[in-house]
Amino acid sequence: MLLLAWRNLWRNARRSLLTLASIACGVAAIMFGQSMIKTIQWQLIEKATGIITGHLRVQNKEVKELKFPEKNYGDLPKLEKILAGDPDIEAYEHRILLTGLVSGKNDSNGVLLCGVEPKRDPKVTTMSTYLAQGSWLKGDGKEIVMGDQLADALGAKLGESIVVLAQASDGSMGADNYKIVGLFHAGSQTFDKAIAFVPLAAFQETLAMEGRANDLVIKLRDPERLEEARSRLSAALAGEPLKVLTWREVDEEITGVQAYQNAILKIVLGIVFLIVALGILNTVFMSLFERVREFGILKAMGARPSFVLRLVLVESCMLGGLGGGLGVLTGVGLIAYYRQEGLPLPIGEAMSQFLPFDTILHLRFDWPTHQTAIAAVVVTSLLAALPPALRAAKLKPVDCLRHR
Amino acid sequence: MSGETLIELKQVSKVYRPKVKAAFSDAAPGVIAIEKLDLAFSKGEFSAIAGPSGSGKSTLLNLIGTIDAPTDGTIAFRGKTVTNLDENALADFRLHQLGFVFQAYNLIPVLTAAENVEYPLALQGVSRAERRARAIEALSWVGLDGLADRRPDLLSGGQQQRVAVARAIVHRPAVVLADEPTANLDSKTAASLLDMMLDLNKKHGITFIFSSHDPTVLSRARRVIHLQDGRLQ
Ligand SMILES: Nc1ncnc2c1ncn2[C@@H]1O[C@H](COP(=O)(O)OP(=O)(O)OP(=O)(O)O)[C@@H](O)[C@H]1O
Ligand SMILES: [Mg+2]
Repeated sequence: MLLLAWRNLWRNARRSLLTLASIACGVAAIMFGQSMIKTIQWQLIEKATGIITGHLRVQNKEVKELKFPEKNYGDLPKLEKILAGDPDIEAYEHRILLTGLVSGKNDSNGVLLCGVEPKRDPKVTTMSTYLAQGSWLKGDGKEIVMGDQLADALGAKLGESIVVLAQASDGSMGADNYKIVGLFHAGSQTFDKAIAFVPLAAFQETLAMEGRANDLVIKLRDPERLEEARSRLSAALAGEPLKVLTWREVDEEITGVQAYQNAILKIVLGIVFLIVALGILNTVFMSLFERVREFGILKAMGARPSFVLRLVLVESCMLGGLGGGLGVLTGVGLIAYYRQEGLPLPIGEAMSQFLPFDTILHLRFDWPTHQTAIAAVVVTSLLAALPPALRAAKLKPVDCLRHR
Repeated sequence: MSGETLIELKQVSKVYRPKVKAAFSDAAPGVIAIEKLDLAFSKGEFSAIAGPSGSGKSTLLNLIGTIDAPTDGTIAFRGKTVTNLDENALADFRLHQLGFVFQAYNLIPVLTAAENVEYPLALQGVSRAERRARAIEALSWVGLDGLADRRPDLLSGGQQQRVAVARAIVHRPAVVLADEPTANLDSKTAASLLDMMLDLNKKHGITFIFSSHDPTVLSRARRVIHLQDGRLQ
């Protein structure tokens, strides 16, 4: 039977090859699409969590504005103990995130001010890697690192002093002179125009918030263990007036973008599946129609209806399997190529409005979703063949024999 | 060799009703292809069904071959009624007891001559090696030594019909049913096919029932059943 099915496949080689090609293209397109969207998502997450968001955040329980926590917390030494002992945590730092005003000779700008721990920060975020001029924050003195576009806007240069004005959560205002020690260029307006970094200790002093911070940012050893790490930390911090958040909650936009992309992906996949299914349906129907008489002969010979059913299904299985295999090869080839060479991505430019984003995408494999798609195509090819196969099985031998 | 009753038809009728709406089907009389036929065939026969076009030859052979069901009456095989069996039981019955040769396009084009002949054995679950050996033997019986690996499209019409006969006898069925096996052949090829069938009948005791409206073909038969408008003449 396998032999017969195999030979039948090549009886109309052109049609079979067309169907094979359509299945293969479908699978390859699906894999490519999945890989592209997943790579964008991964990059988005990596950039977002890497540059400022971190994987986990610990904030005062009552904070409502997660990006600029309006409540703070103290008792830092006690927290240190818990964090240092957690196996999932690679690095962490306390921060004060506030919106404030920086004023130079020319102008004043509203910015996000980040009080960070100069030693720890490079281990937690990638911000220091975007340094374009000068150096990163060195000690606890009144130093500031800001985006190059911000400095331009203020009319300030490296080595000059500017005024930093911010309001602490208790309402008290603080202002101090800070010396520009470094300028960074992240390639994203949000960052380069509107964010400045100062040492935590200096910022605490300016704000009269000694011993307090409002945002504890954590980098995990394994980003996939997000929920496990969160649960354990939450348990360890039970009883404290604190809450543990994941980047998903802090950066809701990213989660939203992800959901949106996933939805698009699903629609595209649905359409591709439909095309594949119709292609197989067409091939199987056509090849059955040509062979009605043969089924009559097989049935007259004593083939049971179930035999004919299986024969047809095996044929389309071969078609689906072969097409799927070809598709996987093509897909792997495409993705591997663009993993090496990189795929120029127009939306990279658009994305970099919000976040530093690579405009060249190095695709990655996402086997769990690829597998689902491949399995779905093969199952689709079987399901598409089922109606014609059932019909062929049900035909009466005499009716088949009268055909042609 | 002959004597034992193999197939017995009792009061068998076949009416083709036009496939129109059920409401009209009662009113529409339909075509009576076979009418209240009583007929028996014995083991070892070499019999022909004769009659003009439309007389019901094909219908009768299809009924005997259980690939069509009678509207009325019963058909028994070695005393056992087969007209009440289900699809699968009928398929198994045909697989073991019957061989078919049709007028044309008998063979599966994607399979070689030997593979075509092997098919009934494959359906029976016979091992590959035995299948092959028996197919080669059957092909030599029909005079086609050496053509085992040819595809049907590279065989002449007469050779194709011989392969079909080989396939019909390879599993030693009780009876071979052949509906106008020579209709698509020239008279010389037809005569040699008939000779070959008669030879198989004599040497190996294979029962043949075939139809034809060709007098020279009919003259070879030991018994001729004349049909006219679905009735014996
Ligand atoms: N499927 C069918 N539907 C309706 N009528 C049919 C059908 N098959 C056969 N008939 C009719 O039944 C009668 C007998 O047909 P059958 O094919 O058995 O004759 P035949 O003797 O084999 O003729 P031929 O020599 O042309 O092959 C004819 O009148 C034919 O028109
Ligand atoms: Mg006929």
